[in-house]
Amino acid sequence: MTINDEAMWVEKYRPKTLDDVVDLTHIIENLKAFLKNPHSMPHLLLAGIPGTGKTTVAICIARELYGDKWKSFTLELNASDERGINTVRDRIKDFSRYGRTGFGEAPYSLIILDESDQMTGPAQTALRRIMETSSRTSRFILICNYSNKIIEPIQSRCAIFRFSKLDKCAMVEHLKKIAKQENLRLLDEAAERIVEYSEGDLRHAINALQTTAAYQKDVIDEKTVLQVFGEASPRQVQLMINKALSGNFVEARKMMYNLIGQYGFSGSEIVRQMQRELMKIAYIPDNEKAELTNIIGEYDYRLTQGANSDIQLSALLAQFSKFGK
Amino acid sequence: MIKDLLWVEKYRPKKISDVVGNELAKTKFIDWLKKKNRRKKAVLLYGPAGVGKTALVNAASNQFNFTIIEMNASDTRTEKTINKVGKPATSFIALDRFSSESKGNILFLDEVDGVFGQQDRGGIKAIINIVKQSLIPVVMAANDTDQKKLRPLKKVCQLIRFHQVRIPLIITTLQKICSAENIEAEFEALERIAQNSQGDMRSAINDLQSTSEGKEILTLQDTMLLRTRNKDIGMYETLRGVFSAESVGEAAIMLSRSNVNYDDFLLSISDNLPFRYPESADLATAYDMVSKADVFRGRVGTENWHLLRYFFNLLAKATTVSPKSFKPFDFISPPIRVMSLFWTKNKRMKLENICAKIALKCHVSRNTAKTDIVPFVKIMLEKQKSSKIVSWLKLEPDDLDYLIKMNKL
Repeated sequence: MTINDEAMWVEKYRPKTLDDVVDLTHIIENLKAFLKNPHSMPHLLLAGIPGTGKTTVAICIARELYGDKWKSFTLELNASDERGINTVRDRIKDFSRYGRTGFGEAPYSLIILDESDQMTGPAQTALRRIMETSSRTSRFILICNYSNKIIEPIQSRCAIFRFSKLDKCAMVEHLKKIAKQENLRLLDEAAERIVEYSEGDLRHAINALQTTAAYQKDVIDEKTVLQVFGEASPRQVQLMINKALSGNFVEARKMMYNLIGQYGFSGSEIVRQMQRELMKIAYIPDNEKAELTNIIGEYDYRLTQGANSDIQLSALLAQFSKFGK
Repeated sequence: MIKDLLWVEKYRPKKISDVVGNELAKTKFIDWLKKKNRRKKAVLLYGPAGVGKTALVNAASNQFNFTIIEMNASDTRTEKTINKVGKPATSFIALDRFSSESKGNILFLDEVDGVFGQQDRGGIKAIINIVKQSLIPVVMAANDTDQKKLRPLKKVCQLIRFHQVRIPLIITTLQKICSAENIEAEFEALERIAQNSQGDMRSAINDLQSTSEGKEILTLQDTMLLRTRNKDIGMYETLRGVFSAESVGEAAIMLSRSNVNYDDFLLSISDNLPFRYPESADLATAYDMVSKADVFRGRVGTENWHLLRYFFNLLAKATTVSPKSFKPFDFISPPIRVMSLFWTKNKRMKLENICAKIALKCHVSRNTAKTDIVPFVKIMLEKQKSSKIVSWLKLEPDDLDYLIKMNKL
């Protein structure tokens, strides 16, 4: 593992070569085979839950192809920030057209499109054509959480790699390695706790580890870990759920407006967090959680159909406050 | 000569006490006018047409010896013309204020909701500037204050709402006019005129004049030809209409007559539902309807306009879940959302800005930065302010400040 001066550990310890990547042996082997003869590499679609190494793998590929100067041959875009058709038409199209073959031994330019399942339909359709016409001058690596949100024509143009939840033991190992480099004493049960709470999301786990270090204790124990997760978990969402379930709709809605206003969350983001936090609330029995999940799901769907997210979120909270009564 | 006057002019109130109805609004306005140090330099009188807004301003200035400088919709009201009249009028205190009985000038901008588009470009902005700098009272009147363009204006004004004049009050006024004009009128005839006016005093007086023109006796028969004036039903009336409706049909009719903006209206309904339905079961049912209406609104998009009928029917259902439980309540408008987004805009931009910096460094989207990384970074910085993360992320001192002070998610 190479060390540099990055301040956030997620970046500091982000693997630089495919060999360093945690727990993805079969995927890595396949990719390495492609890289032996770069011209044989197809477009790639990396799908899987957050924090399993998709972006890392993409950057590693860029490094293997171009070495340290990878940034000048690579366009890295996050589709969730720039999801419209204009981005595709302007930035991606322009970049993909430059034949990089003239510069050194780079066979083509690389376009990494993160969170590409957030792209709008028209944007994906536009992308499809570009992938076809520019295949001599560039390769695409599309990264997404859900490959079913990528239109089929694009899927069929890519080699698809699925990233599943990281192995718990491998994650614990990795955290310990980092702790050692940072001269921290990380207790076994603390490491296991971090991994457990992070649910297979290594980025989350490393961020949590770095946060525990900020407490500046000699030993990182379970207590510190619990403290960090207690502080960092989105409490406002839980409070909103509790308010709604206690029948206090007006207060709950006020909190919802606060979430939208202060943090700028989108409707679907709030619904996603509600679902995640609901599962953590201990006093709700499992069968009720199932029913509430059903309600959340219904409104999540209506959000995608409707015109105004406030309405759907309010309606969802109203259902919750009826349920609580 | 005086015989040919329109009765609405002839019987225009001379004193404040002559203005009929809207006692609360009257007191508020007079209090404001009498005050030496006004917290807000301007008032905005708003409410339906013909309920006495202009009449009150005229009567009050008459009684207190103010001189009115008026601009109304018949004048072009571009930034230029408003400044031309308004600036001199508001930046000096009239000399005669010190010498004679006159209390000085009032700038009266009638029908401010009619400051429109291309012809009146910059009008609202100019008005706001004048209000801010004015040394004299500025009075404005409007019918429809829901319009977006009036929002900034509403912030710098004290708002006084006028309601429709109650029918019995209109009847009494009509009776007074009849006796002054030597007309013998059947009570039923006056009642019909009053009912028909829907609380609009001016139209009632006009109707009285038109039906009794040249007559000495006014019968119910004479008034049968009167038709309700087609009114623009604003947000407030529509809300009241649909919430007090006794059946889905009634509410639907109300909606079809209204010409409020659908999206604003949907939000307003949503905001007001909890005050209408204290029972959470009713509330949930109503919200379910509103939510479905919103889904149809989404499907309507910009082309499938025929789907709007489902939208309306679902909304009509939402407001009439339990008609029997209706109690009048104060409506919220404009939508809470708009307000809360406005107040928190700066905070949100700050956070977005920080997230963009994190996103750039950590290869994630701004949204992921916000939900997954900011909470951790916040704690790290709380514990170690001087952490090298600050310089690495290129956070400015006020970014750091913001992150630490920000409410925990």
